[in-house]
Parts: sequence; structure tokens; C-alpha cells
Amino acid sequence: MAAEGKVPTLAEEYSLPPKEVPVEKPAEEKSTTSTVAEVVPQKDTETSPADETAAPVEEKSETPEVKEPEAEEAIPSTEESDEAPEETEEKPEIVIETAPADFRFPTTNQTRHCFTRYVEYHRCVAAKGDDAPECEKFAKYYRSLCPSEWVERWNEQRENGTFPGPL
Amino acid sequence: MILRSLECRFLTIALCDAAEPWQLGSQDAATPMMQGIIDLHHDIFFFLILILVFVSRMLVRALWHFNEQTNPIPQRIVHGTTIEIIRTIFPSVILLFIAIPSFALLYSMDGVLVDPAITIKAIGHQWYRTYEYSDYNSSDEQSLTFDSYTIPEDDPELGQSRLLEVDNRVVVPAKTHLRMIVTPADVPHSWAVPSSGVKCDAVPGRSNLTSISVQREGVYYGQCSEIRGTNHAFTPIVVEAVTLKDYADWVSNQLILQTN
Ligand SMILES: [Cu+2]
Repeated sequence: MAAEGKVPTLAEEYSLPPKEVPVEKPAEEKSTTSTVAEVVPQKDTETSPADETAAPVEEKSETPEVKEPEAEEAIPSTEESDEAPEETEEKPEIVIETAPADFRFPTTNQTRHCFTRYVEYHRCVAAKGDDAPECEKFAKYYRSLCPSEWVERWNEQRENGTFPGPL
Repeated sequence: MILRSLECRFLTIALCDAAEPWQLGSQDAATPMMQGIIDLHHDIFFFLILILVFVSRMLVRALWHFNEQTNPIPQRIVHGTTIEIIRTIFPSVILLFIAIPSFALLYSMDGVLVDPAITIKAIGHQWYRTYEYSDYNSSDEQSLTFDSYTIPEDDPELGQSRLLEVDNRVVVPAKTHLRMIVTPADVPHSWAVPSSGVKCDAVPGRSNLTSISVQREGVYYGQCSEIRGTNHAFTPIVVEAVTLKDYADWVSNQLILQTN
């Protein structure tokens, strides 16, 4: 629909460009095997008719766990094109990844989203034990979504046994 | 000054991402959302001019011809089915033409169900902002957090905008879906960046989401838009959009700084 040089439509603009980064398969599998009663939205709800994103197959990389490994020594130097978003010699490994959009919370108000993720994490820990690896993602989600002040307050409330949520 | 405005409009050397004196139009769009808003504005202005010209013509004509000498007996129309149908149908068609793009824009703007790549929390305080980048945390305590204070009126450096510059800018990657979580720690605030087409209220006890996708690198200015106290006017917002690679560098540098 969009000729070259035209202003792309909103839908086209919003669709992510197909990233040339390797999508780590194991990471994707890990996320799909969700543990407690909880559903991870599997696919993007906004299937855009963008034809500027040449490869619609690549669009699938828009699923929650788009991993963009930085600081990977394994990357051959030929890939050091200026477009490639990876590369960094620094110590901490930056993975561009965050809590996925959740169809249970489709509104602007995300207060419950954060709260639910927090509760989910603590229920997961209660069910699977303190260092269950499958709970870690919920921790990441709620840390991404909740203001740290809220998390501090809730942690305090849990210690005092006054946490208002279903734990 | 007006010349400068025009220059900014038409002879675009650098895009306008901050307010400037005597500015009449919007700042240049940095996100598809803002582009949509500007386009809608222009769309509606088409109808606005059309109606203005039509109504003025009728009004002036009526005034002109209502004259004792030239037209001693005025027209006395009391009923006309055709004209009544036309003047009912036509405005509703115009309203329809305004409503369709308007709703299309409105619903595409709350793209809450688009998976973001980065979550940034903007927490309003009296009177500064705290930004939290918590995607890289491994515990509740450790977090990439910094405060963003305004540069006081008496010491901006040359080239800095008065009361629009902050000490720590929000660094975001361009061409990436960002989820902004907006919440205050005390009184209501509002996180607004005109170039991004974003104005998100920060309500105590609630976290609001707004998603943006900045299309080009640059520095974007905004101000708190919930003026409910003395210093809300002095809590600007500065967003610095960089490439994804630079963003990753910045994050790792910040993480090193914060852990040391
Ligand atoms: Cu404010």
C-alpha cells in the first residue's frame, strides 16, 4: 500500500522491523512452558499488513521473548555492520527484553498487571520452592512493571503478614 | 520571530523537537502517533475552512441584501423540504468524515497489546522525576534508577533551553517499542512529550501505560502537564533517543556506575 517515499501508515510504523538478530530458540521454549495457572500471550495481536516489513515470517520474532544478545563474543566480526544492534565490550550483558503485553490487561491502567505479576511470582515460589528457575521470569516481569517503591512496600507487608493479595 | 517560525516550518534544517517562541503549530513528529495527530489536525482543518467559508458567505450575503432600498420586501421562506433534508444530511456526513479518522487514530494510539522491547518507569516527584529501567534487574533492590532534575534558571549553559533542560536525560532507543509506565510518588503529575504525541497522567496509586516508538534519534523536550502546585512548571522532561546499540552501551555503563 505504501509507495516508496510515502509516509507509512500508522500500522506500518508500529510494526517492528524484522530484526536480523538470531532469535534464541531455547529462550522461546522456556517461556512457553509456563508453570502456574497463567497464560502468556503467544502471538502479537496487531498483525500488521505492512509490506515494508518484507519478511512476514520474521514477524513472529515479535513474540514476547525477542532476545537480542549483546556482548556475545561468538559473533563473527563480519557481522559488525552498523545496523546490527548487538555488540558491546562491557561487562554486564544487556538483553533487550521486557514483560510482554498481557491480554488480561488491555487498558491504560496497568496497576493490576504489576500487582498480578507480583502475586504470580510469590505464588510460584510458594509452590515450586525458592530457587525454581521457572519463577524467575515472573520476577523479571513484576520488576519491569512495578515501581520499586511499591515492591518495597509489598515486600514489607509480606514480612508483616499484611499483604492484601492472594498469596 | 515569525520568520523564524516559518523557517522552522518550511525550511527544515533541523526538526523542531522543542517549543520555540511564537510557535503556532505542533512540534515535528517523532513517533507515528504524533504524525497521526498532526494529520488528523490537518484533515479536520479542511472541513473547518470549508464550513467557515460557507457560513461566512451566507451571513455576509444575508446582511448585504437585507436592505430597505434595494429589497423592500424580504424573502419569507417558512418551509422547504429539500433544503431541510440537505442541511440535515450534509452536516452529518461531514461529522462522519471527521469521526472515522478520529476514532481510527484514537484506537491505534492505545496500542497496549503491542509487545514492547523495553519498559521504562517515569515516577513523578515534587519536583523532579525518577526513571527506573528495571528490565536488567536481578533483585528487588538493585535497579538502574536515576533522578532527573531541571537545570535551574540561573545556570543553563549556552544552547540549553531555559527551564527545559534536565541534568539526567531519559535515554531510549529509537525505532523500538517502548512501554512507559507513568506513576507519581506524591501528587498527580503528567508525563508529556509533544514530539512523541504522548501525554500520560500520573495518578497516585495507579500506574498508567503509554507506548511510544520514537522513529528518529534526537532530543525531545516536554513538561509536566498537571499543574497542581508551585513547581510543576519546573519539572521538564528530556528524552534522548539513540540507536539501540548506543542504548545498550549506555545501559551497561550506567549499570557499572550504579554497582560501584
Ligand atoms: Cu508534576
